[in-house]
Amino acid sequence: MTQVKFLGMIAVIIFFSAFTVNNSMSWQIAEGYSIKFAGTDAEGIFKTMSGDIQFDENNLDASSFSTSIDVASINTGNGMKNKHAVSPKWFDAEAYPAITFNSSKFAKSDTGYEVTGTLEIHGTKKEVSIPFTFSDNTFTGKFSVNRMDFGVGTMKGMSKKVSNEINLEISVPVTK
Amino acid sequence: MKNLLIHGVVAGLLSGIAGIIFLNIYIEAFGVDYSQIINIGSIMGSSIIGCMLMTLGYAALEKFNKQNLQGWLNILIAVLSFASIIGPIGMSLPLDIEFPEMFPGLVVPMHFFPALAFFAIYPFFKQVKS
Repeated sequence: MTQVKFLGMIAVIIFFSAFTVNNSMSWQIAEGYSIKFAGTDAEGIFKTMSGDIQFDENNLDASSFSTSIDVASINTGNGMKNKHAVSPKWFDAEAYPAITFNSSKFAKSDTGYEVTGTLEIHGTKKEVSIPFTFSDNTFTGKFSVNRMDFGVGTMKGMSKKVSNEINLEISVPVTK
Repeated sequence: MKNLLIHGVVAGLLSGIAGIIFLNIYIEAFGVDYSQIINIGSIMGSSIIGCMLMTLGYAALEKFNKQNLQGWLNILIAVLSFASIIGPIGMSLPLDIEFPEMFPGLVVPMHFFPALAFFAIYPFFKQVKS
């Protein structure tokens, strides 16, 4: 009987410790995040994002990012450009309302970390690697994407003025 | 010449006052805030500068005795006022400002206020002169 109780206690401890590990990895996106993009003749921010962030510096294998950016929240500082950006000519927010990123692999790098995953923009999925740092409970990453790889805009007419290469700068403060 | 100068200053002040009234109505009606970009000082300053440029044109006609070209000058002023709306329509606001799409609705009408004020009070100053 004592043995049964002992085993029961161990089972309870293991069960709750699993939650402890899970809790220590789980982060909530806090206010004050920023998603900036900049290229020739195209500069702005996305104002709304959501996601599920599991990250433990000591357990990268169990870490995961699953984030979604609301395309309609784009702000270039110019009403006409905003309207243009969400139109079928560019992001087509009605058909593709979100930009998503789902991680598949984390690795340590010289400067911090690198996450590899699937980035989906405008209905096109592509595997990308994003270098990032994590300090003061804030994830910070800089990388660039080629808009033509995702079929965003064209290289005809006025759209030609916007560079193919778009630099992204992401800062996401998180809380437990 | 003195009359022209007074005409320009008065038109500039009236245009500025109209701009400030319009700014307050717009802010109240739509709940927007563009105070980082546009304020009472900038409205008053640009209105007076606009009207003084018109005064300069009128003064040039008077100096060279070409008053018969006044109609063309008025058309030029109207065309330039119209062309100047490209500025606010194409302008990119700081990214922390909400509702950038409503900014042209505030500023575009203001671009016509200096010419409107200048032409509106022109007969009073012409009468004084003659």
